[in-house]
Amino acid sequence: MDLKERVCDELQKEVPKGASSTNFNTQHQQKWEDPSSTLDYSTRIEPPFQAFNQTCQTQSLLLCNNQIKVPMQDGSINDLLQQASKIQDWDPSAMLNNLSFLEQKIHQLQDLVYLIIAQKGQVLGRPDELLVQQQQLVTADLTSIIIQLISTAGSLLSSVKQTLSAATTSLGQCGEFGGVVFPSSAQRLNDGVQPQNAGGSKVSEPQNSIDITSNNGNEQNNHIVEEHELKDEEDAEEGENLLPGTYEILQLEKEEILAPHTHFCTICGKGFKRDANLRMHMRGHGDKYKTPGALAKPTKESSSEPTIIKRYSCPYAGCKRNKDHKKFQPLKTILCVKNHYKRTHCDKSYICSRCNTKKFSVIADLKTHEKHCGKDKWLCSCGTTFSRKDKLFGHITLFQGHTPAIPSDEIKVAPAGTSDGATNKVGSVNFNLSSYVSSESEVQSSSMDIKGGIDDAVGYFSPLSFDTCNFGGFHEFPRPPFDDSESSFAFLLSRSCNYSQKSGEE
Amino acid sequence: MLSFQSSKNVLSLTEDLLVRIYELLAAESDRKSFRLVCREFRRIDSLTRRHLRVIRIEFLPILLRKYPRLQSLDLSACPRIDDGVVSLLLTRVGPGSNSPSLGHWAWGLKSLVLSRATGLRFSGLEMLTRACPCLESVDVSYCCGFGDREAAALSSAVGLRELNMDKCLQLTDVGLAKIAVGCSKLEKLSLKWCMEITDLGIDLLCKKCVDLKYLDVSYLKVTNESLHSIASLLKLEVLGLMACPLIDDVGLQFIERGCPSLKVIDVSRCEGVSSSGLIYVVRGHRNLLELNAGYCLSELSTALLHQMKNLNHLEVIRIDGARISETSFQVISANCKSLVEIGLSKCVGVTNMGIMRLVSACINLRVLNLTCCHSITDTAISAIAYSCRSLVCLKLESCNMITEKGLCQLGSFCLLLEEIDLTDCCGVNDKGLEYLSRCSELSCLKLGLCTNISNKGLSYIGSNCLKIHELDLYRCTGIGDDGLEALSNGCKKLRKLNLSYCNAVSDRGLAYIGRLEELSDLEMRALHKITGVGLEAVAVGCKKLADLDMKHCEKVGDSGFWALAYYSKNLRQINLSYCGISDMALCMVMGNLSRLQEAKLVHLSNSTVEGVELALRACCARIKKVKLFAPLRFMLSSEILEILHARGCIIRWD
Repeated sequence: MDLKERVCDELQKEVPKGASSTNFNTQHQQKWEDPSSTLDYSTRIEPPFQAFNQTCQTQSLLLCNNQIKVPMQDGSINDLLQQASKIQDWDPSAMLNNLSFLEQKIHQLQDLVYLIIAQKGQVLGRPDELLVQQQQLVTADLTSIIIQLISTAGSLLSSVKQTLSAATTSLGQCGEFGGVVFPSSAQRLNDGVQPQNAGGSKVSEPQNSIDITSNNGNEQNNHIVEEHELKDEEDAEEGENLLPGTYEILQLEKEEILAPHTHFCTICGKGFKRDANLRMHMRGHGDKYKTPGALAKPTKESSSEPTIIKRYSCPYAGCKRNKDHKKFQPLKTILCVKNHYKRTHCDKSYICSRCNTKKFSVIADLKTHEKHCGKDKWLCSCGTTFSRKDKLFGHITLFQGHTPAIPSDEIKVAPAGTSDGATNKVGSVNFNLSSYVSSESEVQSSSMDIKGGIDDAVGYFSPLSFDTCNFGGFHEFPRPPFDDSESSFAFLLSRSCNYSQKSGEE
Repeated sequence: MLSFQSSKNVLSLTEDLLVRIYELLAAESDRKSFRLVCREFRRIDSLTRRHLRVIRIEFLPILLRKYPRLQSLDLSACPRIDDGVVSLLLTRVGPGSNSPSLGHWAWGLKSLVLSRATGLRFSGLEMLTRACPCLESVDVSYCCGFGDREAAALSSAVGLRELNMDKCLQLTDVGLAKIAVGCSKLEKLSLKWCMEITDLGIDLLCKKCVDLKYLDVSYLKVTNESLHSIASLLKLEVLGLMACPLIDDVGLQFIERGCPSLKVIDVSRCEGVSSSGLIYVVRGHRNLLELNAGYCLSELSTALLHQMKNLNHLEVIRIDGARISETSFQVISANCKSLVEIGLSKCVGVTNMGIMRLVSACINLRVLNLTCCHSITDTAISAIAYSCRSLVCLKLESCNMITEKGLCQLGSFCLLLEEIDLTDCCGVNDKGLEYLSRCSELSCLKLGLCTNISNKGLSYIGSNCLKIHELDLYRCTGIGDDGLEALSNGCKKLRKLNLSYCNAVSDRGLAYIGRLEELSDLEMRALHKITGVGLEAVAVGCKKLADLDMKHCEKVGDSGFWALAYYSKNLRQINLSYCGISDMALCMVMGNLSRLQEAKLVHLSNSTVEGVELALRACCARIKKVKLFAPLRFMLSSEILEILHARGCIIRWD
């Protein structure tokens, strides 16, 4: 499908938007932000809607390596998108007039584009003088349609500021969004609205998906799904339950996501990560950039206006964070997008220098890991380590047969408790009053090994009474009333067998 | 005695008939007599015996060889068991030996009791679990040193169904996880006092061991999260939550919706639980059999009472310490007709009228605890006696208003009464004991602080209650030697006797005590008249004496202790505090009593530091708990303290 025709088509269907319509509307709005349909004609224009100003166009050109034939058109569409949110309050009758006017206009334009297609079939691949003229004509017409549409829509919506601010703050970024502004009142209008992603996936054609795979081929190789131990922004929004259609979905392209800088100097082209840094840099280009106004942070719109919630989609097809995914979960901020993309779809190039095993694709993750590296004391029998006990237990719950491993350093402690050989020997130490301390060395030298004590079986089962002791020191004491005391000590040894049968059990 | 003719007939019986006869012998003493008849009978005994409780570890190898078909082995009375012993038992007799391999005994073993085996560690335990492939039940309660490694060793017993790990103090979630994963067939698990266990461990346990029927997490610092996990156990019947301080009503709400098979729940002493929490439990479980809510309710509220109307199957309820009104009794008796036991200990508001209402319908009551219900009088006792003819146990401690009239009613109607606690009931006199002695089934009688009873009263008990095995005469100052004479003539089965502070008892009385051959527990604190002669008589006569408390018996001299050391071979616990024992005698007592596990040796007036040191050395291999005079901590050699510690002995300094 040709772009122009498509644009006309879209615009045509855009018409009933102002009226109290519906999922039909949203479905086709969806197309605008649908990356697959974008890729459909990406041979010619990629990414679309980027020619908002010269700077970002050049930047995009650099990134995309694409020739862009209809910058104006793109810009105007972008304009439309920006302006579409202007609609504030709407007067139905006035709007109906405007819409019918638009319809006429669009039909005219449609015819013109049909004509172009017909010509194009004949002069395929040859950028003709005529074609350029026709394109300009179409562009002019489109522009007028758009302006009309905007003024119409302006009565309906009032969210220009949002997009405008986005345009000013992130000059480079706005070209990167393949976004559509969803009116905040859309919910009211489109009561029966279907989930966007469902609509989006319906629109996408099989041919597109092939394009995508070839396009992202190298990324798929890097596609590693992993569990993030770090709680990041992605996790934070898991529980968010935004109704589809109540927020604006923006999608950055892979190249933009991976670009080291997002803010570029319009004069020298130097890139910066932060807008504030860019503003500081700009001071060097002249006094006009030193005014407080130029240096001030671009102000956000007054909070009285209802703000459109912006959410981001991952450009990786099939990813849960991609808007075409059935259970699409949007990403909250650009930073989330960047971290998500790097973590999930990129190589893990940062390796922890301490353990040499853990790899990360986001350097902040590596730094966080390095803080805890070596402190992962929660170990599973499968060899996986965890920094937190609950993570380990979650893992064990999940996997059949896995158990927590007990750290090996405890082994060293345990034999101290099993030094039974030692204590047994102490039990049968010579009980001379003077020399009981001498057994200390014996305690230390006695074997810790259980089996070492096996030879001394008698020692284990001996009753450990005084019969094994030397009573040299006790003979001075007055004899106890039981004169047979010596035989009493021998009692257990001499008659132990009989004893066992009589009272060795209960 | 069998005549010659009949004995010939008996001896000519075939082996299988003898086995049958043997199996019909229930009492252990009967079986003992059986195996003493002749070699053939002894052979039958050794072939058929399934259970063995070993008292002296030195005979364990012989016994294991003698009884090859053991299924249940109880080693709780030999705390000296350690890894070395286990290793010997399992490996010493190899195939080359002429005796049957010792390892054989372990093959059929299903139940193993290792309670208080503090000498055992994980390596020994692992050897045991490996050697016993059929192991189904293990008890390692009170092995305070047990932790995760021991749990890991136990987890290799995959067929384990019952496990008691009470007071395995080092056990953490990691060890519990080991068991939960390894022993997934677990049905019964007790984790009392395993203080390191947290919600994480309980959660994993509930996910892995879904067959759990019995779970006791009493005293643990677990929270409502654990109850949330526990609620998912579909087969759970018994849940013990005693004194879990972090559990509250919100947690019990989970129980309301979960645990569909719950029959017994114990939330006693849970500080956070109130009656609304119990309402959840009762509402969710109409078939509850036992509800133990002692000391967690301030009042038995009407809302809870209203819910309890539905508990038609309830058999046991304990609401100790709660305020209860007379109408509540009416509701309970009208609805919970199958009640067998009710505990009202220290309840406020228990009146004669309330009790009369209660027993009017609950006629099946067998156990009634009215401890410290001070306003109870003979009227209530009469009503109980008249209605609950099958009463077995009645606790009336501190019910001061009870007199001989009440006891008369009990003696007339409750002829099945086995246990009665009349401690501190000063209304009990000799006449009352005469009435009570008509309960000939009485086995446990507590008369502590009943100062109005005399030798005469005791003689009624001695002549009629021949089945008594526990008698408490604490501070019954009216009791003297004559009473003990009557007692020793009749109550031959007495196993536990408390004579503390019965000042009138002298050596002659102890000589009568010496006639009680079954006596195992004797408490005789502060008997100032007794000397070594009396102790000698006890030591010689009471062969089974296991627990002796003779604190403050200052006149007992060394001759008595020598006798003790010589004769009381079964002594396990001894309290010698404030006794005039000499170094020599102390060493003899501690060294020669080879079963001694616990000793209290505080304020020994005639002993020196060296004597105590020597005594500890003599017993250090087997002693498990010792109480010593605090200053000795710095006077004893560090070596002996280390040895004691290494053997798992707990020292209490006083």
